[in-house]
Amino acid sequence: MLKYHFDWSIVTSGKYFDWLVSGLKITLELSSVSIVLAFLLGLLIAVMRMSHIKPIRFIASAYLEFFRNTPLLVQIFFWYFGSYKILPTAVNDWLNSTNFEFAAAVIALTIYTSAFIAEDIRSGILSIPKEQMEAARSAGFSFLRSMQYIILPQAVRITVPPLVNQFLNLAKNSSLAMTIGVMELTYQARQVESYTFKGFEAFTAATLVYLVISVSITWAVHVYDRRVLNPQKAG
Amino acid sequence: MKKLMTLLAAVALVGSMAHAALAGDTLADVKKKGVLVAGVKDSLPPFGYIDEKTREIVGYDIDFVKAIAKKLNVKVELKPVTSASRMPQLMEGNIDIIAATMTKNPERAKQIDFSHTYFLTGQKFITNKGKVKSLKDLEGKKIGTAKGSTSEQNVAKAIPTATVLSFDDYPQAFLALQQGKVAAVTTDESILAGILGKAPNKNKFEIPNLQISEEPYGLGMRKDDKNFVAFVNKTLLEMEKSGEAKKIFDKWFGPKTATPLKRTFKITADK
Repeated sequence: MLKYHFDWSIVTSGKYFDWLVSGLKITLELSSVSIVLAFLLGLLIAVMRMSHIKPIRFIASAYLEFFRNTPLLVQIFFWYFGSYKILPTAVNDWLNSTNFEFAAAVIALTIYTSAFIAEDIRSGILSIPKEQMEAARSAGFSFLRSMQYIILPQAVRITVPPLVNQFLNLAKNSSLAMTIGVMELTYQARQVESYTFKGFEAFTAATLVYLVISVSITWAVHVYDRRVLNPQKAG
Repeated sequence: MKKLMTLLAAVALVGSMAHAALAGDTLADVKKKGVLVAGVKDSLPPFGYIDEKTREIVGYDIDFVKAIAKKLNVKVELKPVTSASRMPQLMEGNIDIIAATMTKNPERAKQIDFSHTYFLTGQKFITNKGKVKSLKDLEGKKIGTAKGSTSEQNVAKAIPTATVLSFDDYPQAFLALQQGKVAAVTTDESILAGILGKAPNKNKFEIPNLQISEEPYGLGMRKDDKNFVAFVNKTLLEMEKSGEAKKIFDKWFGPKTATPLKRTFKITADK
């Protein structure tokens, strides 16, 4: 005997629909800001890993191992609650007067994901024959310029598929921000559930929206890949 | 297209797993099993928290569960729940009864049945000393509370301009208050008193006399589980009559405790 009465109207219109939409907006903001920052930071770390200067290489490796090997949830709590102890009072006061929940989530997501992205890009860089770097250097390019003009443009192209994975992970991981009170999609779905007790409907709606976000990211990168990065692949 | 079909199949599978618990006879089941499984809080002194010495969950809620189990002549198994998880846990049959600072309200009563009120309190705020004189002082501020609680819904109604930040539990919300991330933490006075009682820097905080709602607590049971509800209600009334209920109150909220409160209620049959 199934006693549960499905009521899909709560998630398709009215107040609760508005909540989910506002949650979606925050999820999109959180994910897009973090994806851009994580990509840039990942690039930087990857290049640092390839540097000839030992301390720079060491810093990049340490960063990578540290952030790749600790749970994201712990990192979120660290930036939100833990950072309080090590920051000066004035900084804390300022942070608390802003939307620090959102910022802490962006910082955690960015740093965590950038470690994975850096590894992906590094493997892309390694797949470029090292003669290219040597040729670039002997043609008079500095290390950074060789990276910028010769190596990275090729490496990033090769790295597109694993990068998509990292972007997808980031978008889904953004749901953890709810633990520090960021009112993103999962938070709002949970709110709808606790107000209406219609958990199945609320979380189904959230699931479908995450699915749409993920499929959109995959599709967008695919199009960018075929049109801009690797037009030769387009049939 | 194939991928899409796989996906739809996955969604359908999840859908088919969503089941609803059957309305049964918990009273008979519990007697047969010989154990009463209760969903309780484990970080909420003095209602349900882990005693530092014995490492066991103790508190006001727990004493009521134990009294009911004693009357049934069965053992007690305590399962920690959160405000958000307790109703699903009950409805899915993972626990037999909720004794977790649960406010009785009409929306919840549509999903589960409540016992008579066994504790009465009101929703207030805990703030930095001297900062909040009236509700106006909290307008436009961030206010912390716990996910899935009535506190969350009441404060959103009482101070619409405030931003309500919901954390996983009250200790975390209080940590946010200590770090200045929220201007106040709001929930039932009894819980706030417990938080304040345990705080290391008590004198920096206070509970101003601003009540935004009345919160009667009830024990939660599955819907249409008439025998069990009747049994629990009968036990509660007997406990009031024998003075046991008052004794439990004094044990946790008496003048000598860290959370002294006045007993402004008696357990009576709901109308």
